[in-house]
Amino acid sequence: MDFVWDFSAVVQNYTVLLKGVGMTALLWSIAFPAALCIGLILSLGSRTRHRSLRLLTRAYVEIFRNTPVMIQLIWFFYAFPIITGIQLSPVSAALAGLILNASAYCSEIFRGGIASLPQGQWEGARALGMSSTQALRRIIVPQAFIRMLPAFTNRAIELCKNTSIASVITVQELMYQGRALSSAFYRPLEILSAVALIYFLLIYPGSYLAARLEKRFASQRA
Amino acid sequence: MNYQWDFAAVWEYRQMLFDGALGSLRIAVVAILVGVLIGAVLAAMRMSSRALLRWPALAFIEWYRNTPPIVHFFWAFYALPVLLKVSLDPYLAAILALSTQSGAFYAEVFRGGVQSIERGQWEGARALGMRSAQALRRVILPQALQRMLPPFMERSFELIKTTALASTLAYSDLLYQAMQVNSITFRPLEVYTVVAAIFFIALFVLSLGAHCIERRLARAGGLLAS
Repeated sequence: MDFVWDFSAVVQNYTVLLKGVGMTALLWSIAFPAALCIGLILSLGSRTRHRSLRLLTRAYVEIFRNTPVMIQLIWFFYAFPIITGIQLSPVSAALAGLILNASAYCSEIFRGGIASLPQGQWEGARALGMSSTQALRRIIVPQAFIRMLPAFTNRAIELCKNTSIASVITVQELMYQGRALSSAFYRPLEILSAVALIYFLLIYPGSYLAARLEKRFASQRA
Repeated sequence: MNYQWDFAAVWEYRQMLFDGALGSLRIAVVAILVGVLIGAVLAAMRMSSRALLRWPALAFIEWYRNTPPIVHFFWAFYALPVLLKVSLDPYLAAILALSTQSGAFYAEVFRGGVQSIERGQWEGARALGMRSAQALRRVILPQALQRMLPPFMERSFELIKTTALASTLAYSDLLYQAMQVNSITFRPLEVYTVVAAIFFIALFVLSLGAHCIERRLARAGGLLAS
């Protein structure tokens, strides 16, 4: 092991990596809230009385959960423009894929969370004269949300990891910048290790939080 | 929306896609096997009473659980050879990246399964004169395996989806072959839709199968009874 580590390429180009972190953060902070909203709407769709609407949301969820994210991003970048005639920029194609993918998972979390509340909560709200949207907003979602918190935190982490795949369709986020630097300076070991470390520092706090939340809810239930 | 779908071009190159699907299947199967091995060792280390075994396992697990898979693919292919002074081919790099990462996740699945079994089961086995290894094999694992099955299958499906990243190393998996077909036929819509459909069908059928097994096990009252 006579390899000499040399992090000067990383240190001198930290602004390039920082820019990458900025793009990663941008992708995440647009995609996560959007996925939460679409996920909530989808989960309501899976609870309606209309059979065709239920089937449609089911199909959506299964399709996005059972195909690789990378293929979804590539599909939005290369295939989607052909049907619609709209050429998406790399960032918007990445956002489209990431949002739709994460929304399918979020809708399952909402569905599970809402189903986990006893039927009596609905009946109680109805007895107080609430409409079902009021019951949902005031009684069901606030209680279910607490239970869903660990699952959503995990989803947020997965989404952060998935943003790295956007590098494949030339979105200039952290992974892309790392690859560009490592081929420019021939220092793949130092640069890719640094990129991995940055991802770890971004993601670990979230996963620590999720583990803490899970433990706390588990002890409350016991 | 007057686009004329044309799958004939894709059909013409079906052999290339088929080879790609086989390539994906190969790395998925090998990586699951190696991943289970790594996961079992890590889980045993993680539950050990010796800090010297516990801490490295914990660090390994947290590192791989909290970094994106694509970083590990590139790291294994471009960075590791610098350290080892041997270059890895895309196949080995993909296996290494997939199996180390899923090993970290499997380790948590195995640990969760074993620790979910109540203490009384251990104490009962001890009272019958079993050593810990015997208790683990005869009493704990048969019960724990059933609880591990759903998260284990979920992790394995994640791994199968992650194999698509091997295409970034120019390993000829399904997605890489599709890119080649696309560059010949200029039919990205059809090619990528077909690839997505292949993944969807494979994973959907597998997950139906997994649910079926889980339900049957639950009805039979566990592995011991069946």
